[in-house]
Formats: sequence, structure tokens, C-alpha cells
Amino acid sequence: MNHHPALAVTGLAHTYGEGPGAVRALGGVDLPFHAGTFTAVMGPSGSGKSTFLTCAAGLERPTEGQVAIDGHDISDWDEDRRTRLRRERLGFVFQDFHLMPYLTAEQNVALPLRLAGQRPDRARVASLLDRVGLGERRGHLPDTLSGGQQQRVAIARALVTDPAVVLADEPTGALDSTTARDVLQLLRGSVDDLHQTVVMVTHDPVAAAYADTVVFLVDGRVAGRMERPTADAVAGQMAHLDDLVVAR
Amino acid sequence: MTGLALRSLRHRSTAFAATFVTVLLGTALIGSFATLIETASGPVSDADAESLTIMGAVVGGWGALIVLFSVASTMGITVRQRAAEIGLLRTIGGTPRQARRLIRSEALLVTAVAAAAGAALAWPGGRALLAMLRSGGTIGQDVSYAGGFASLGATAAGVVLTAMVATAIAGRRALRGPATLVLSEARAQSGRMRWWRVGAGLLMIGYGVGLGVVTITVTADDPDPYAAMQTAGSASILVGLGLATLAPVLLRWTGSLLRPAFGGGAPGYLAAYNTTRRAHLLAGVLAPVIVLTSAAVGVLMLVGIDGRTMTVAPNAETETINLLNNVVTGMITVFAAITVVNAFGAVLSDRRLELHRLHLVGATPDQIRASVLAESAIVAVAGVVLGVVASLATVVPFAVARDEGVVPDGQLWLPPLIVAGVVLLTLGAARGGLARARAVPVR
Repeated sequence: MNHHPALAVTGLAHTYGEGPGAVRALGGVDLPFHAGTFTAVMGPSGSGKSTFLTCAAGLERPTEGQVAIDGHDISDWDEDRRTRLRRERLGFVFQDFHLMPYLTAEQNVALPLRLAGQRPDRARVASLLDRVGLGERRGHLPDTLSGGQQQRVAIARALVTDPAVVLADEPTGALDSTTARDVLQLLRGSVDDLHQTVVMVTHDPVAAAYADTVVFLVDGRVAGRMERPTADAVAGQMAHLDDLVVAR
Repeated sequence: MTGLALRSLRHRSTAFAATFVTVLLGTALIGSFATLIETASGPVSDADAESLTIMGAVVGGWGALIVLFSVASTMGITVRQRAAEIGLLRTIGGTPRQARRLIRSEALLVTAVAAAAGAALAWPGGRALLAMLRSGGTIGQDVSYAGGFASLGATAAGVVLTAMVATAIAGRRALRGPATLVLSEARAQSGRMRWWRVGAGLLMIGYGVGLGVVTITVTADDPDPYAAMQTAGSASILVGLGLATLAPVLLRWTGSLLRPAFGGGAPGYLAAYNTTRRAHLLAGVLAPVIVLTSAAVGVLMLVGIDGRTMTVAPNAETETINLLNNVVTGMITVFAAITVVNAFGAVLSDRRLELHRLHLVGATPDQIRASVLAESAIVAVAGVVLGVVASLATVVPFAVARDEGVVPDGQLWLPPLIVAGVVLLTLGAARGGLARARAVPVR
């Protein structure tokens, strides 16, 4: 175990565009995410959730501040180096699954390993597919799987490299409530059983209630936190975010 | 629907530019030869009328086959690309009938304008062609140009009709089934080829091979030295078109065959699976590569053999025929090359989101580029191998008919040269298409 947080952002700020038309999407966010924790990042649209995630993932270079993964500051790395870090130390779960349509479930799960030039460990891929309940369907192509099943494949893919952090962007946004629950339980299970670190951006209080901690973002700043959240408490807080900002 | 169609055209002008260029050049090419037939029906001698009709119908006919094939495949790509958008239109309440009308209005607007412009180009084109025949002495000096609305109108109408039939066939797939299903991502498994498509492909291959057999057994002994050329000349083009019609299946086989050759690297791995599991997408690129190779190798070798074996001293007529053969090959080559570039551009712009997704999962820009180039290499290899095989249907029978034996006596450097050119063109088209696709940011 190392002593760094799995993911830490310090003074993270990001501005789109320049001059008078510039939009400040993030205005100085400091957040550590410790290994083995499940954090939900919530906020209304335009609060900077997506920008936070793209900067944390190294997809976009922040205008100011640092992003550290496993203690390595990646903010001034070049694109190639960030891409390599992304596929080796980060796992991704997207709202619309992002599976390659021409690869089977098994091949999709093994893809990050292949891109990293490793020989996929078949046993590991098989055990992850079993874990998400799709061992029987490993040879299926994505278009023969339901939305929930595709998202479970995507979770197995996110876990295959044993990443420092799994970043999830509205992972249940395209699913009905029953399949959404399965997906959230899988994310929760990966924290409890596999000691993974999950950071999930969502606007759904029910989804946020699966996390250990909820962080609220408003206008690009952290406007509050809640430990051991319940769906009702989160929904209540979301309805009064403006008060939080004023109270600051 | 026309208003919506117009806005949609403006919105995706690059996608429709491919259709426009294909239809424009196609109409200009066929139209130039069609004017010869109209001229033949004017006040000309019987011998001249026959020469003009043969030239227009036979030589123009080969070209027409290739042009109509390109127009059909380009329209197919353009419509299929939009399956998701059509699905969206239907989920927000558009009936299949309205969606069909939108697709057809768009296609009709683009092809009608392009065909009219092409016909306008064919007017001077036909005039130049006639002047060439006249100066070569193939026809009398007194023959005057009489191309006009009949030939050019019929050509434009024929091209537009072909485009509309291709649109209707491609559109039917996009419109079948419930709206929500249409929205799902472009199906991974290639839609199985319909029986009539397989039948048409086999028929063209059989007909082309049959022409080759006839060249050896019948027309080789004909006193007219050009009888063998007439039967052998179109054989390679027909076999090439037949193979192109079967392109999805052939690409799937090639992809599986070449998979081990790419070793363990991620780009080759992705390319091999993409070509086998989504063969229907890249088949649109493979088809013109096959036709381009078979037409260029077949016709140019034919001209070479003819030049070596003609016993009579070269006269104006043989020179004109050779010149025409070269002109037609040149035009077909340019045409097929444009189709290859168009098709790659269309396929890659369609896959922008998918390539971006690959990047999100951790592929470096170099890996993505390598994977697309590997795909185009598979297409190029399949295309030139099949195209050269198709060209044998012309080269072998004609060489036998002219007593050179199964292998022609000269110009054996020509096929490798053409193959190298086609491979470079295919890889270049992929590179260019990728650069354009990546120039547009995805979020």
C-alpha cells in the first residue's frame, strides 16, 4: 500500500475559451480520493461535473492546478504519456457503454491490456466476466446484449488492469432502475471486495446513495459533502444547493 | 419534407459531396458516349452509323456498368451511414413513410443537380470524342455532331434512376423494424447478403468467364481480328464487377485469412476483427478497388497484346481503337480512384465516434492511425488480388487467341505497377480520410 490518495486534485481550475467569451467551468477544486473509497460527485448541469471528470482522467489539460494519480502529477504530461497512464492506471465506465461493436464481450474486456501491448490473461478476463454475471456470454457481440449487460461488460473492462481509480460518468444514465441497481451494486462490490477506488459523476440521488461520500459541486466549486448518504438526504440537499453556496 | 431535406443537405454537405462528384463524372462519362449513338441516328452512312453505334454501345457500355455500380455503392454508403439519424427521426414521431420521403428527397435533389451538370459536361465531351473518331478516320469527315436532349436526357435519367433504386434498397434496411431497434448502433454483424445479390454477382462472374471461353473457342478463329477483342475486352470488367458485388463475403474471408499475419499487435488485431465482423462497412471500399484493378490490368494488357500481335501495318483505325481503349481505361481509372477516396472518407467520417471511443479506452493516436491503415491494407490486398484474378478473364483468353500462349509475351511489368499504384491509392485514401475525420473534434 502506498500513502498517496489514489486520486487527488489540487487547485483544479479549467476555463473554456479566451477573452470575454471565456467560460470558467471549474474554479479551484481541492479533493483527495483515498484508495478503497466510493465517492459520488453531484451537481446540477453546468456545475462542472463533466469538466472535473475529463481533467481528472487526463483527457483534458486543466488551465490551473494539479491532478495526481497514485502520487504522480500528470497535469503537464504529453498526450501519449497521459494515454498510457489512462489505460494502465485508470478504468472508465461511460453512460453509453462505449464498447467496440466488432469485438466480443471477452475481447472488449481484454482490450485495454492489448492496447498496452500485454498478452491478455484469459483467466483474469474470465473471472471478471463471471464476477459481473456474464461468464456464459463471453463470446457475444455487444449488439446481442442488453444495455445492462453491456454496462456490466464495461465495468469488467474498467477493472481488468487493476486500476488505481475507476472513473464512472453517469454509469446508470442510460439504464432502467432495475438494471441500474445491478450496475451500482457491481461498483459497490468492486470497492468492498476488490479494494478498488471509484469516483462516480451522477445527478441521480439513488445512485449517489451507493457511495461512501457525496461531494456537491456548484458553479465549478465544491459546495458541500455528505458522508454515508441516503437517497432522501441527497435529494433534499440537491434541492437546496443554492443555500449551500450562500452558507459558504 | 423538401424543406427538411434541403436543411439536412446543407448540414452534411461533405457526405453528399461524394454522391455529387460520382454522379457528375458518371453522367459526363456515359453521356459523352451516348451522344455517339444519337449522332448515328442522324444523316450518316450505314458504315459510319454502325461504327458509331458499336463505339457508343460497346465501349460506352463498359463504362456505364462501372459508373452505375459506383453510383449505386456510393448511394448505399450515404444512406446506410444515417441509420441512427433515421432511427432518431422515427423515435420522435416520424413515420417510416416520412423518413423514406426525406431520404428520397435528399437523394433526388443531389443526383438531379449533379446529373444535369454532368450532362452539360457531356455535351463538349461527346463533341471531342466525335472529333477524335473523325480525325482517326474511323468515320467519314462529313459526320456532324448531333448529340442533344435525347441522348443526354436519357443518360441523366438513367443515372438518377439507378441512384434512386440504390437509395430505395439501402433505405429499406434502415426503415425496417421498430424505431427503437433502428437506433441501436450500426449492427456489428454484416447484414447477410440477399439471395439476389449473390445471384447477380455469380451471374456476372459466370458471364465474364463465359466471354473468355468464347474468345478462345469461337472468336479467336474469326477473320475479323477485333472479334476476339470485343469478347475478351469486357470479360475482366464483368468478373471484377461480379466479385465486387460479393465484396462483403470476400472481405470477411480475407480478414480471417490475414488475421495471423498481423501478429499480436493491438492495431492489427483491431483491424482484422473490424474487417471480418463489419465487412459490410468496408466492402463499400473494397468493391471499387477490385473494379479499378481488374479494369486497368485487363484493358491495358489487352491493348498491349493487340499492339504486339497485329499483323497488318498499324493504320488509322487500329490507332483510333487503341487510343479509345486507353482513353476509356484512363477515365474508368480516374473514376474508380475517386470512388475509393470517397468511400474511405465516408466510412471514416462515420466512424469518428468509434475512433474517439478507442482513444478514451486508452489507444494512442498512433495506435488508432495504425489500426485504420492496417484495415486499409487488408482492403488493398484483397482488392488487388481479386482484381488481378478478375483481369485474367481478359488477359489469358486474348493472349491465347492471339497465339501468345497463356502468359502474354510482354508488358509483364504492368500488373505489378498497377497493383503498387492501387495499394498506394488505398492507403493514401485511408490516411486522408482519417485526417479529415480527426479534424472535426468529438465531445
